[in-house]
Amino acid sequence: MQQYKIIFSGSVGAGKSTAIKVISDIEVVATEARASDHIQKMKESTTVAMDYGRINLDAETTVHLYGTPGQERFSFMWEILAQGALGLVLLIDCSATAIKTDINRYLAAFKDFIKENAVVIGLTRSDLSTGIDWEMIYDTLAENDISAPVFEVDARNKTDINMLVEALVLSIDPTIDSTINPVVT
Amino acid sequence: MREESITSILADLNSSSTDIEASAIISTDGLVIASLLPTSVDEDRVGAMSAAMLSLGDRTALELDRGALEQVLIKGANGYILMTHVGHDAVLTVMTKSSAKLGLIFLDVKRAVADVTSVL
Ligand SMILES: Nc1nc2c(ncn2[C@@H]2O[C@H](COP(=O)(O)OP(=O)(O)OP(=O)(O)O)[C@@H](O)[C@H]2O)c(=O)[nH]1
Ligand SMILES: [Mg+2]
Repeated sequence: MQQYKIIFSGSVGAGKSTAIKVISDIEVVATEARASDHIQKMKESTTVAMDYGRINLDAETTVHLYGTPGQERFSFMWEILAQGALGLVLLIDCSATAIKTDINRYLAAFKDFIKENAVVIGLTRSDLSTGIDWEMIYDTLAENDISAPVFEVDARNKTDINMLVEALVLSIDPTIDSTINPVVT
Repeated sequence: MREESITSILADLNSSSTDIEASAIISTDGLVIASLLPTSVDEDRVGAMSAAMLSLGDRTALELDRGALEQVLIKGANGYILMTHVGHDAVLTVMTKSSAKLGLIFLDVKRAVADVTSVL
């Protein structure tokens, strides 16, 4: 029996909680609290401790999914949840105003983690933006000395998120057969 | 003003026992509404930690069939941290010395929660 732990982190409202909910095989543990600051305008609730879900890749492989809060005041949870994890799914909200700053912030926070572990990046909510500036994204990654797979995803879409997790698990262990669900395109 | 009346309730609470070192009222998403904390304590961190602990306590109490969460108690070598629900959307966090008599602290906290509830 193989057990993997991976974490979902990234900008506020990018869809970390949504993504874990959409792919989890079990009912997720969520810790949402009603937003009382500017985030209110975007959505009603925000994660204050963690999300937890689980998927079975195959009979022998289980992936434990942990989601972090996005807000910086909860950064102590980023460290706690990263312990023992083998990979990071970084979700970035592309409809936000300061995408570059967001990417830099989370890459900096997880710098040591990324040195030792796998990372994939999911760009979410692009349908609400004027389009993704891919050059800026790749420049920002290069400036941070990071080469990671980048995907445009919708956090509400199970196929999209499964693909991110498959890519991550494959880079953790290239020998694994990671067809979570046949990908329908 | 709301914040001032809450601060004065916290002042009463802190002076009800010399064992109480700090107290704060925090929204469940981790923002400090009012606080009386030593300057060495970072207000934002207290807020965020209280929100995280309380939400995990909420979930644990529910999943393990203990009903709606009322309090979370943390004991360290140097004292206690007691977090108590104040209505749905706020929490009262109190920090005490290790010599604190918990029964008395519970009583004082209960009174403060009632007072703050009437103001919120
Ligand atoms: N239109 C659109 N909405 C999306 C997309 N991806 C996610 N969403 C929505 O964006 C919101 C994301 O909210 P959450 O899942 O709570 O975000 P989060 O990252 O957990 O946020 P915090 O816990 O507050 O940091 C939800 O309302 C999703 O339905 C997308 O690609 N397009
Ligand atoms: Mg969330």
